[in-house]
Amino acid sequence: MKKLSKKTIITIIICLVVIAAIVVLNRMMPSQEEMIENASEKMEKMIEKDETRSRKRVTVTYNDLFIVSYLSLSSSGANEMRERFVGFMNHTYNADEGKMKVTGQMINYTYRMLGRGQNMMYGAKLTILLTTLTTLIGVFLGTFLALGKISKRKILNKPCSGYIFFFRGTPLLIQLFVIYFTIPKIFGFAWRDLFDASDTESVYKGAFLAALIAFGLNSGAYCAEIIRAAIQSIDKGQYEAAKALGMSYGKTMRKVIIPQSIRRMIPPVCNEFIMILKDASLVFAISLLDITTISKTIMTSEGSYMVFIPALIIYLIITAFFSFIFNKIEERFSIYE
Amino acid sequence: MDNYEYILETEHVSKNFGDLVVLKDINLKVKKGEVICIIGPSGAGKSTYLRSLNQLEKITSGKIFVRGDLFLHRENDKTVEKLAKEERQKLLLEMGMVFQRFNLFPHLTVLDNIMLAPLQVRQENKEEARKTALELLKMVGLEEKANEYPNKLSGGQQQRVAIARALAMKPEIMLFDEPTSALDPELVGGVLQVMKDLAKQGMTMLVVTHEMGFAKEVADRVIFMADGVIMEEGTPEEVFNNPKNERTKAFLKSILNA
Repeated sequence: MKKLSKKTIITIIICLVVIAAIVVLNRMMPSQEEMIENASEKMEKMIEKDETRSRKRVTVTYNDLFIVSYLSLSSSGANEMRERFVGFMNHTYNADEGKMKVTGQMINYTYRMLGRGQNMMYGAKLTILLTTLTTLIGVFLGTFLALGKISKRKILNKPCSGYIFFFRGTPLLIQLFVIYFTIPKIFGFAWRDLFDASDTESVYKGAFLAALIAFGLNSGAYCAEIIRAAIQSIDKGQYEAAKALGMSYGKTMRKVIIPQSIRRMIPPVCNEFIMILKDASLVFAISLLDITTISKTIMTSEGSYMVFIPALIIYLIITAFFSFIFNKIEERFSIYE
Repeated sequence: MDNYEYILETEHVSKNFGDLVVLKDINLKVKKGEVICIIGPSGAGKSTYLRSLNQLEKITSGKIFVRGDLFLHRENDKTVEKLAKEERQKLLLEMGMVFQRFNLFPHLTVLDNIMLAPLQVRQENKEEARKTALELLKMVGLEEKANEYPNKLSGGQQQRVAIARALAMKPEIMLFDEPTSALDPELVGGVLQVMKDLAKQGMTMLVVTHEMGFAKEVADRVIFMADGVIMEEGTPEEVFNNPKNERTKAFLKSILNA
């Protein structure tokens, strides 16, 4: 067992403390019932009556986010009422005005943008899933494109160069439109038909697949350039040494050149990952419900301009998390440099 | 026993880079077990000649024979005749090469560096390859460094590992391309010692070097090259003590005065 560095131990301890605190505070979060008890008598009566009616008059929204929760009660009709509460550490605070109003909104928006209580095609989960899969496809595709572009054989070289030229030379949004709208028109199919028709999510799944293909093809072109640069940065002497030892071109690539270039690829691939993460917000154009789309919807339907602040913070946290992971991977590969 | 007089032979080997003539009509015959040192000013084409033997450079014209077989015959940058691929590969493996800049694989440990080609090219079994590698490391005096990465080694140690790596393919001829030129002076000795040991074991060696002391002591034959031509050739005594060519005299004088 390798000895852990002091820094690692401190990081682990801090993480454990934070997790423990979250668990404890999460336990102390007031439940929906407890929070409803704080509603005004009039509101409580309406909720009571609602229990026996099929058509509800009060909309109850309860969002819990790690350690805090937010309850919103609103009735429509002639005597419209609206009551909101924030719950924290066994206490319920009124959130109809003041600081708690902002806090309540933030919890509400963050909850919705993270996509809790919804499927994988929703909110931050969608963004992370799309970005990760895109990067994997991009690196896989990019490796072959890079090897093709380096190759001296015209039959490999020309198509690969052309591919890279095309996908880097046109806007990603238009590529997405072509794949989502144009291609199905030409070939006479619909993206949602690729999934079970009884599935209510089939529209989103179809759109997700189209986005994944568009992003993957695009990122392949960028990754190809990254990988090509990394491969070509390897000293000529490495090829010569391998050749002098009788190794074929393919073996030289697989055993000598590519393993060395991986280390050099990590920082630019990390950069590419973060670019994709942000480019993924383009899916709002095909109505996929990612962080951007949700915040835009909230802004237009509820007229709240605060919503973009938690959106920024969520993006920032995701970026920070993945930068950390990539740094760790880079350290792993740095032992010989 | 193989039926050949010379293990390595070149006839009329020439090499141009565009208009620049690097090698002009080089004829050389090497007997098995011979140690030949090639000396000369930089830009003389010594390294290019060595590299063209190993196919790292393509010659413009000339013939190369390995173990009596015509390995390659080229005229005017076109291949006239060459062996079938497998045969060529086999003969190519008879030549091990050591580079000025070591060119160890930095992502592999010392042991893996040595084992890579035997495993990948000769398809040796792993245990066997490991045993050979450790023996070779012992020979170059670096057993205890087997599991280190090359960047943890000094230049001299790296070069000794590079020699072991070349030897792992069991070549009959070793080509040394200025093996000590990139080393700090105090590290040169260890590398030269390994090369001397190799010479004693009867390895055929072609050494491009600036180490005149080594050439005097170990070489069976010394070749002086300048401007892509072999100017003078002979035993170390002949070349160092009684140089006939003016260029040789001038070169030796400049080296000794340095």
